[in-house]
This record gives sequence, C-alpha cells and structure tokens, in this order.
Amino acid sequence: MTHNNFRKILLVDDDQDLLEQNKTLLESRGFNVLTAESGEDGYKLFLKERPDAAILDLIMEQMDSGFVLSYRIKKTEHGKNIPLFILTSATYETGFKFDASTEEEKEWIKCDGILNKPVVVDELLMKLENFRLTEEK
Amino acid sequence: MENRKANILIVDDEKGLRIGTQRLLQDEGYLVDTAENGASGIKLALEKDFDLAIIDLKMPDFDGLEVLRVIKASKPNTVCFIATAYASYETAIQSTRLGSFGYIPKPFTPEELISQVELGIKQRKLIVDSEKLKKERDENLLEIASEKSRLNTIVKSISDGVLVVNRVGEIVFYNYAALKYLNISELKIGNRAESKLPKKILDLVNKILSSDKILLKTFTLQLELLPENQLVVEAACTPVPHPDGSILGVAIIISNITQFKQIEHIKSQFVSMVAHELKTPLAAVQGFLNILLDDSIETDKEKEKDYLNRSITRLNGLKDLVNDLLDISRMELKTKIREIEEIHLQQVVQNSIQMLEFEIAKKKISVAITLEKELPVIKADVNEISRMITNLVSNAVKYNCEGGKIFIDASAKNNYVWIRIKDSGIGMKPEEKSRLFTEFYRIKNEKTRGISGTGLGLTIVKRIVDSYHGKIEVESEFGTGTAFTVYLPINTN
Repeated sequence: MTHNNFRKILLVDDDQDLLEQNKTLLESRGFNVLTAESGEDGYKLFLKERPDAAILDLIMEQMDSGFVLSYRIKKTEHGKNIPLFILTSATYETGFKFDASTEEEKEWIKCDGILNKPVVVDELLMKLENFRLTEEK
Repeated sequence: MENRKANILIVDDEKGLRIGTQRLLQDEGYLVDTAENGASGIKLALEKDFDLAIIDLKMPDFDGLEVLRVIKASKPNTVCFIATAYASYETAIQSTRLGSFGYIPKPFTPEELISQVELGIKQRKLIVDSEKLKKERDENLLEIASEKSRLNTIVKSISDGVLVVNRVGEIVFYNYAALKYLNISELKIGNRAESKLPKKILDLVNKILSSDKILLKTFTLQLELLPENQLVVEAACTPVPHPDGSILGVAIIISNITQFKQIEHIKSQFVSMVAHELKTPLAAVQGFLNILLDDSIETDKEKEKDYLNRSITRLNGLKDLVNDLLDISRMELKTKIREIEEIHLQQVVQNSIQMLEFEIAKKKISVAITLEKELPVIKADVNEISRMITNLVSNAVKYNCEGGKIFIDASAKNNYVWIRIKDSGIGMKPEEKSRLFTEFYRIKNEKTRGISGTGLGLTIVKRIVDSYHGKIEVESEFGTGTAFTVYLPINTN
C-alpha cells in the first residue's frame, strides 16, 4: 500500500457527521484514525499521539481555527515533517479568497494543501503520496 | 412715448409769444408748460422730464444759452431748441455745442414751429429708444454675469468633484471636492493634467481626447485611493463637444463611493458565509450517501439507518436555514409592506409557548409567565413580534438543562414596553456574548454539542428589534443561565 508511511492520521472537525464519515472512509483504507472536535483538543491529541498526517477543518470555534491549529502543529519539530491538510467547504468558488497551491501560500498558511468537503479518499491518498515522493527527493 | 402726448416746455419772457406758442402747440395735441424767465424755466425742466424745451435766447435774468447748459447737464435727453430774434452764426454754433437740437429764428410761422417740433419729437423718440436698448443690454450682461457666478458657486459647492481638461491637456476648471478626493494640494487653472491627475484617470482622458470620433458617452472607472475600501472614488469622464463636431475637452466628475463599496463588501461576505453554511450540510448528506454506496465499506443495518437519520437531520437543518434566510430577505422588503396592527403581548407569548410545547415538554422545562396586567398596546407587525419572541423562547429551551426553568416577564417603563426571557441554562462566557448577534455565529463547546441551529435566530431577533427602534440587552453567566430583555417603544407607528 502506498500510504504505509502514514498509518496514523489525526482528524479534527467540529462537525460530528463529517468527522465520523471521514474516519469511516480512512479506516476502510486501512488507516488508524484519531479524532478531535476542537482545535484545542486536536492539538493535545497531536502532541500525545504524534500522528503521521493531519487533516484539519478550517472553521471551528473561530473562523480560522484550522489555520491556528496548523500553525501550532507546524511549529513543533514533529509537525514540520508530516503532511497537513486544511479541510473546508469555504473555497474560492464560495467567495473565500485563499488557496494553498503555491509554495508561498503553503508557507504562509502553514499547510501542505487544501481539501474540499466532502473528502474524496482517492484524492487524499494521492496528496499523501505526492507529499511522500517530494519528501524522499 | 408713442402712447402719450409729448410734453413741451416753453421758456420765454415775452408773454404774448409764450401764450401764443403754448396755444398753438396745445392745439397740435402736445402738453405744454411755460416759464416766464430763465430761473423758473430751469426749475421746471429739472423737476419734470420734458421731451422738448424751446428756450428764448434773451431773457432778463438768464441767458438762454446758460439755461440750455443747465438743463442739458442734468437732463441730457430733453431735446432743446433755442429761439431768438437775434439769430447769429456764433450763437447758433454755441447753442449746438451746448447740446441744442435746433435753432428757431423769430418770428416764426406756426408751420415752421410745428415742423421743427415734430423733428425734435422724432429725435427724442430715437434717444429714448436707444436708451431703452442700452439699458436692456446692460441688464442682460448683468444677468449673464450673475448667472455665471451662480453656476460657479453651485459647481464649487457640490460634494462631487468636478474637473475639466481641455483638448491640449490643461486643467481649465475644478472645484474643491475634486482636490479633496484626488488628494491634490495645489492646483492652478492651466496646470498640465498629467502632472496632477492619477494615471488611470489620465489614460482615460487621453483615450477620449485622441479618439477619432466623439462618442457622447460617459466612461467610468473606480479608484481605490486608500487601501481596504477606506476611500474609493468613481471618476466619470465625458467628452465636451464643440458645435463644429470636435472635442473641446473632457469633463470629469469624481464621486465618493466608499460607503457603497463597504456595503458591497459586507454583502459579499454575507453571501460567502451563506454559501459556506449551505454547503456544509450538503457535504454531510453527500458524505453519508457516499459511504452507503461504497461497496468497499461495510455497514450493518443499524449503521445504515443511523446514517440515513442523520442525513435527514442535516436536511432539516438546511431547510431551517433556507427559511431563516428567506425571512431575513423578506424583512428587508417588509419595511415597505409591513402590516401594522395593535398587538397584545400576552397573546403573542402564549402562541409562542404553544408552538414550542413539544420541545418544552421533552426537556421537562417549566415556564413561568408574569406579564403586567395593564401592558400598553404596541403597534407592530404581529408576525415579526411573534417571530422575535419565538426565537428567544426557542433558544431558552434549546440551551437549557433537563428540568430547567424559563421566566418570561413583561412590563412598561417610561416610553418602552420591555419583555424579558430568562433561562436557567448553560449560559455564556463574555467572549461568546460579544459575538452573539453576528450572522451564523454559534457557540461551540461541550455543552452545545448536538444542539441544532442555523446561527441566524438572534440575527433575525436583532433586526426586528432594530427595525422598531427598540433595543435588546443580554445578561448571562456561564453555567447559570441567560436573560434577554427586549425594549420596544410605545406608540410605534
């Protein structure tokens, strides 16, 4: 399996339905999934479990909870080495003017990509794979 | 003068001639005054504005030429004749110099006199007419001058900026608002436009000036002069045509559209939020259905039912959201088509409680209603007031604890009727309270987990309260409960 490097994935989302769906999807692909419902809990879980990847919802308690959490994670030594995705339905077409497609944007937003809701598992797997290939170069 | 008899003054010390001439001219239809010496002749001439005066040259007190001089000096338009028995070349020249129109030698026949007088009257008419024309012309000029300055004053004082650039690119007119909006500290008529105007406006002006044919069309562009919508202006450039078909220049009107831009920004933010709020439940439903359809994911019957139920819950939430959004948009229209009637709060409160009966019973909540007996009647749209109270009571139920309490009180104070809806629920932290009326804001913590809502309930309440010029107050303590108090002005129209 291509995602062997990323066995343990942290999912943070304040929407219980979406959280459970994504957990189910990822588990069906053989991942070990950890979940948290707030930025604060997500950070604690990250520190404790040191996951191999993280997927964070953007709008939780605050409009930018996902950004704040990704910033905190990326500041840690472990966080720097794992792929981290922001998950949202607040994308460009709904009028939110941000994206993380260029290196500069990724650096600024402190994440490795933006995922649209609902999550398409194959897309996520591809992004994880890309991250691994880039890291190995 | 055409419609009235001409009046004539005869100044002569010789009584017989004086009276004879008077009679002769009166018979011809003239009004005639007489003076028997120079002094009284001058006096009369200055008092009345005579069309014509016939002055005897030799009088005991004054010389006729002296009388002529004095009369002409103050009444230059009175046509004067010198009459004399001692006609000489010198006096004729002198009298003409002093402004006499004719020289009548004595003795004269009635025909001679009358023909002279008729000539004089014609002259007088010419003088009067030309005077009138001159006066009219002067008045017109005055009018034009004052019109111009009035126009100037108007243009200078309007709040939009006005600037005119001529065809060689010089600024030939401006008002103060233009300087203010374009942030120009010094500008003189004749300054080059390229040294003073922002490049974007200049490009547009040059495009208009250099175009082959005149399009009598206004070209507009928007300029953000201060970042983040702090100052945005719109420049409208219109060619000024010359009657011969060429372009005289370009008129630039600069309007401040900052407020419009800010409202536009708020509106687009709201639309973005709406889109996001609509997409989230859709994503949730789509996600459940995807899992149910995914053969690689095993789900048992119970799980399938759970997913379907949760999908329906999300769809119900979506439906509520759409209804709330429709309410908000209707409310914006409704300020025009409101149905204002007399409202008894008692009844509205009862109806709201009835509507929420099921939820209240399910959570075993007790409701205590204490409304003052003689509450003043308020005038408002009953649907709006009822929506306001229902939303507040619904929150008091949703964010209450099992077996909690709700107190509804109402009374009148000064110019207001107030109603308070107090619950013994989960309460709020100060930072949560401050964002309470923000669209789509919902408090998210352990205790609100599983409580459904659109995030628009209090937004709607606030909008209704504001639209009646009322106010709303919130008291809350985390873990203890929350009280909303709405004040509505009495005699609201």
